[in-house]
Amino acid sequence: MLGSTSSDYPPVGLGSSGTLSHVYIQHPPLRCNIPETQGLYYDDGNKLLLSPTADQILSWKIAPTMQFDPPESDSISEGPILSMRYSLNRKFIGIKRSNHEIQFKNRETGEMFSRRCKPDSESILGFFWTDCPTCDLILVKTSGLDLLRYEHELNTFRLVEYKRFSVSWYVYTHESRMILLASGMQCTVFYGFQFSSGGIIRLPKFEMTMTKAETNQKPVLTEDDVHIVTMYGRIYCLQLDRVGMLLYLYRFYRDAVVQQGSLPVYSGKIAVSVVDNVLLIHQVDAKVIILYDIFLDSLAPISAPLPLLLRSSSNSRRQKIFLEDNTISAYGGTIYGDSWTFLVPDLICDVDNGLLWRIHLDLEAIAASSSDMPLVLEFLQRRKSEPTKIKQLCLAILRTIIVEKRPVSLVARAIDVLIGSYAHSVKMGNALPVDKGAPEKSQSTGSCSYEEPGSQMTQRHMEQESSGKEEHQLYIGTDASKTHADVSTSVAIGALKLAVSENVADLNLETAGTNSGRFLEKSFPTEREEIQVESSNTASEKSPLQSEELNNGPSTSASNQQGTQSSSVAISPEDMYNSVFAVVEEEMGGDPAYLVAIIVEFLRSVSKEKFKVHPNIYVMIIQLLARNNRYSEIGMFLVNKILEPSKEVALQLLESGRQNLATRKLGVDMLRQLSLHHDYVTTLLQDGYYLEALRYAHKHKVITVRSSLFLEAALATREAQNLAAVLRFFSDFLPGFKETSDCSRYQRILVEMS
Amino acid sequence: MGLSSLNLNEAVQICIFDLRRGQHEGQELDKILFFFPMEFPFSAQLSVIGLCEGIITFTRIFSPDAACEVIEAERHSYVFYEAEADIWMVLIMEKSKDNESDWRFDALRGILKEVHYLFMMFHGSLRALLEKQPSGELARSRLYPFVIDYLTDFYVGKKLQLPSFRDSLRERGTVQMLSVSREVAIEVQSLVTVLGSLCVGNTTCKSVIVFHDLLVSTTLSPEDTTNIYTYAVLRLTPHALSSGTNTWSYLLKGTSATSAAAGFTGSVSDGSQQSSSDASSAGQDQRNSVPRPLQREKWFKGKDGFLTTDIWGAEVGSLVSVLPTVWLRETEENMNLCIYQHKNLTIVILIPACSLLNEQGLSLAKQQLVENAYQKIVNVEEKLSRGWGGENAYHVSGYRYLIIDGDRHISRASPPGKVTTLAKDSLLTLNRVREEVDFEKTRAQRTNPEHEKDFEVCIRAKNNAWVISKVTRGKELHMVLEKANETLLYATETVEKFSNRYCEGAFSSD
Repeated sequence: MLGSTSSDYPPVGLGSSGTLSHVYIQHPPLRCNIPETQGLYYDDGNKLLLSPTADQILSWKIAPTMQFDPPESDSISEGPILSMRYSLNRKFIGIKRSNHEIQFKNRETGEMFSRRCKPDSESILGFFWTDCPTCDLILVKTSGLDLLRYEHELNTFRLVEYKRFSVSWYVYTHESRMILLASGMQCTVFYGFQFSSGGIIRLPKFEMTMTKAETNQKPVLTEDDVHIVTMYGRIYCLQLDRVGMLLYLYRFYRDAVVQQGSLPVYSGKIAVSVVDNVLLIHQVDAKVIILYDIFLDSLAPISAPLPLLLRSSSNSRRQKIFLEDNTISAYGGTIYGDSWTFLVPDLICDVDNGLLWRIHLDLEAIAASSSDMPLVLEFLQRRKSEPTKIKQLCLAILRTIIVEKRPVSLVARAIDVLIGSYAHSVKMGNALPVDKGAPEKSQSTGSCSYEEPGSQMTQRHMEQESSGKEEHQLYIGTDASKTHADVSTSVAIGALKLAVSENVADLNLETAGTNSGRFLEKSFPTEREEIQVESSNTASEKSPLQSEELNNGPSTSASNQQGTQSSSVAISPEDMYNSVFAVVEEEMGGDPAYLVAIIVEFLRSVSKEKFKVHPNIYVMIIQLLARNNRYSEIGMFLVNKILEPSKEVALQLLESGRQNLATRKLGVDMLRQLSLHHDYVTTLLQDGYYLEALRYAHKHKVITVRSSLFLEAALATREAQNLAAVLRFFSDFLPGFKETSDCSRYQRILVEMS
Repeated sequence: MGLSSLNLNEAVQICIFDLRRGQHEGQELDKILFFFPMEFPFSAQLSVIGLCEGIITFTRIFSPDAACEVIEAERHSYVFYEAEADIWMVLIMEKSKDNESDWRFDALRGILKEVHYLFMMFHGSLRALLEKQPSGELARSRLYPFVIDYLTDFYVGKKLQLPSFRDSLRERGTVQMLSVSREVAIEVQSLVTVLGSLCVGNTTCKSVIVFHDLLVSTTLSPEDTTNIYTYAVLRLTPHALSSGTNTWSYLLKGTSATSAAAGFTGSVSDGSQQSSSDASSAGQDQRNSVPRPLQREKWFKGKDGFLTTDIWGAEVGSLVSVLPTVWLRETEENMNLCIYQHKNLTIVILIPACSLLNEQGLSLAKQQLVENAYQKIVNVEEKLSRGWGGENAYHVSGYRYLIIDGDRHISRASPPGKVTTLAKDSLLTLNRVREEVDFEKTRAQRTNPEHEKDFEVCIRAKNNAWVISKVTRGKELHMVLEKANETLLYATETVEKFSNRYCEGAFSSD
């Protein structure tokens, strides 16, 4: 049976065929190499790839999936283009024409207007649109930030607020809604802001670590060295220390920035991607990628560094290998060539050739490269992409370790991981309807759970992670009441389950910051929800950017999406029975004891989470025990209620009891306990207990059992007296019995007997 | 020696003899395998055995398969039990004037059965021993100390007190189980898995887990479970180890049993010497090394949690104890015993003797146990302790009851402390009712072994207590209701309520 499934998925533990690689980009790429275009620009706010020609802008939508359709176009006036971004409601397009001027075009009216800065004292570094309630556009200048708001009447941007800093360069991602402003001699002093729909949060000023060079030269940090990454809804920053060859990891909280450690670097140039919450560090010079899962405290890589694979789109694996060389030769550029740029979070763009790929994880290969299966399963269960495939992969792993008869304790841990993950997803699903339209309630949930001791934290996580919506609501509520404690709980959240390390982090923070809360706002538990936010932004096109609208919009759609989402990575006990136990049973014919042990561990895991299991699993235990002649243990399993009573179990006991009377009696007893009157009476009759059956049928008014069965059972005793008694009973108690053919027939037999 | 005070009118006599031996004049002594009291002259022993043999031979004419069960003489009752083919055990009880000596024959036969089962478990069958050494010396030398050690548990003061009507709410040869929640049961089962995988190779270890004096889990057949459980409660549980103090378990009876046993150690050799006048000096050496598994205070708990004993002696030239070995009836396998105790949790692990080649194998198994199972053991013990309801946990107020599941050799009864509150009349009546039920059961069994007969007795005793016995498909319920309403309807309803509440409706009237 495993064989049939392994045709779809590679056999785990044997390693996937072909080139060894954990990360791949899929052929064909999105081609944006249209003649006459000048360069490619990435608008991460709208997930658009933009390419200007002399008088228009072509745009490709690349989220949630890459659109291979012809690009949309917008006409613009001619002139130099340094960067461009659509507004989040797509009403405007902003083009940076020079270091002193940004031009805006209203796409509906076609009106154009510009914003300039003082050319002598400052220059424009860049700009981005925001869904922050107080402003629509942030202008980053060497002298600081301008927060601008669009005024309908005036048809221009009004300065709402300005923040004065001396800025060398900046880093911003729309995903995190966070901007880091570098300043100082070495550009290591940072100011940070988060502009989210909940409001503006200012981070404390902090300094990044730089190893001193041996000469007195002081290295200067550049914007290529700093990367904002979002994983599990938490915001981190990675900073490359070129001298120390280290990549420092910082985590942002509301009131603190905490360095979490460092990752080694093996290349002068690195790039960072996040695919499905997995951190990818491209060691560009070495052309390998190291994967990290920054979920727990561990900064250990998931696997050894392996190269990036360019995969053809062919579905057949065999064909793929064959085609691989062709594909690579068909691609004119070089892997990790100079023209490659890495777009947030998971895109690679070959600017020269106008190609765009999305980076994918080869989860099968990752799973195959590790021997610690429970850890692999944990890792897989945290992934959100390709849920169906992950689910099948997890099931295959479980099947394999069972068939390979790995130690029971190891299989038990693996089952614990899967059931724990399922329990989490069920609680998440249940939490959704409660949250809807009850922001206050969910906020209070957040605040009381904050006081709960650590043991309860798991649940808190689950409640809060249930959707991005709740987090929003929490945020709004707390922001209004100016208490940040609640938010700090919601921050910890993207977690699938309680991570011990987070507690430690919490503690660190509380000592580090004056406020007990932590920084972090618009952090979405999953990227999918992030996407939802984006799309709903565009949906509310006409309305002004209001926080209410924004918050309700994305959250509803997010929860809807979660609610209707049928395919999840979580594996229910039912799935586990159907796809694992039922399948491996045939293969494991030789060793029922091992399988029984595994199923007991499964039951332990399931009962810990208070789930029900299908009676089939109990039926299977009985069959397995009976196969080993362990009938006395069947009794123990029943006495202790490990096997919960059900009709299926009772019938199996009757069946297995053919070789063992005591077991059969257990089945009969169970039928009675379950008040399965008809079956009980029939079984009694089969066993020749016709008087007992008759009494029982009379008392419980069982009329579905034919009278001839009783008469036949009485006749089997070959005693006229018994038959007469049963005949008499029916004559007295069963109306119309005397007219039936049964009556006359057995009367005749009775006469013959006597 | 205090033995001189024992006269020939000893209230209790037990004899074990083999009908296939000593059938020629002058060799009569050969058939005696065991006689208690030991100081009975051979002539007296022979006259008792002769009578028994005569009755057996006579009754066999009419009933070849099941010969004599009981003889009621004027002053004595004879309870017969054919332990193995042609090997008989007879218990002779002297009747006393008062009705204190009202007993139930099945309960007395239960003693014979129990001691024989235990003997078989440790020494194998008597027939095998007799075949191994036709002189019978081997069998006798094992049987004597064994039965004597067994009887020490029945001494109250200097008097041997066998079960009487006062024990009619107890059932020998059954185990008492601890009720656990499903969650704990699964944890226990998970532990059992670990225990099962202790030994090297393909063999599986068996295990019996006892908490206080109650069975938690077993992977043995009901019969083997009963034997191991009985032995565990008698000699292995923390309670039995600390002995001395009185116990609520019926298996551990006397307080002064130890002192009585001490009196016997000397006489054991007397007895065997007596019956084996031809024993050589070599035979004596052999006798000295006879293991006495039922000897008291021979098990010790080591610092590592394992129980050790020198009952089975030490290997020649080493201080290492020989492993205790038992023989399982179901699989007919020899198993080594390895016993681990954590607080009140006693875990008996039975390792197939063939898989343990030497002491090294055992220490490896022990090490594995500690490594793999310790955490689970601690966890299970904690959970069981949390749910432990004390010795009166299974008391149901208003009821004095005994439930027996004959198929799985399990019984549950009102705690002994509660049973003693019953009036003598109630107990006497119950005893008689049970005697009737036993009789009916045997008769039904004989007429139609395939078909289990249900019956029900409900009696109003002299003291106006209701005494109820109910047998349904191999399960028995015996009950005394004192100070109850006088109508029969009330009595049956009370039973119904009990049955539905505590027996899953097993005794509810159809």
